Amino acid sequence: MGKADDDAHLLIGSALGTTYRRANKTETYVSVPPALVITDSDGGTWTLGFKRVIHNHQFEFNVLRNGVDVGEMAKLIEYTKGVVKIFGHYGWKSFSRSRRHFI
Amino acid sequence: MREFVLTSTGVSGMTILGATTLNFIHPATSVSIDIGFIRHWVGQSANVTSDMQQICLMTQVTAFPTLVSATPRNLKMGDPNGPIITGATTGAAGTCGINASAEGAGAKTLIWPDQFNVVNGYLKVNTPEEREVAPAGAAFGVNLWFSQPPLTLTGWAWGQSVYEIA
Repeated sequence: MGKADDDAHLLIGSALGTTYRRANKTETYVSVPPALVITDSDGGTWTLGFKRVIHNHQFEFNVLRNGVDVGEMAKLIEYTKGVVKIFGHYGWKSFSRSRRHFI
Repeated sequence: MREFVLTSTGVSGMTILGATTLNFIHPATSVSIDIGFIRHWVGQSANVTSDMQQICLMTQVTAFPTLVSATPRNLKMGDPNGPIITGATTGAAGTCGINASAEGAGAKTLIWPDQFNVVNGYLKVNTPEEREVAPAGAAFGVNLWFSQPPLTLTGWAWGQSVYEIA
């Protein structure tokens, strides 16, 4: 299926080499893991990549948005009331309203 | 540490064939290299409605599933060596494959069961000390397996990242 075939209202993103189409953004409090993907209101598809480090006997993976590394490592990505948050050895960070970085 | 991924193919996922083994990895017998599992994931590409799906990690002895041959891909781009496991359709020792068309009559043993919502997909990340390891020379292979066919068979994407333990 090509993008030309899609409903214009679908949220379309990619994760780990696969295109994900969703009619709605992800429900609040869904987290990766155990979920594989979070779809935000812009159609950004979030997941954890393959690059990893170990902190406190747990893995942290690079955070991907539509397959692009956003420059953060995390154990968890959570979607809370429309905000993407990540958790790692540093604590919690939230994706900024400008959609450019985590603060 | 040499690391590989064994995944489904295609940007829009695959159609589940007649059986429900997604990945099958059988350690080699000829060389003493174990296979460790770092993480497992399953997702549905297409826009889907909410539904729960069971996913299991199993072991299976002969007769093995009939698979689509798939070669694991290097995660470390500079690694000049290929994986000890190669792609094949038979599930024999030292091979792996994806998307089984027949399950094979061999007995399966459950390692862990879990469930996920198809809208969100499933990612299992082991803590380092809890990684599953399939030993070299094992009589069994490891299945990533749906206990029942999903409601919609199309658009599935899945994979496992593994490493070799010499």
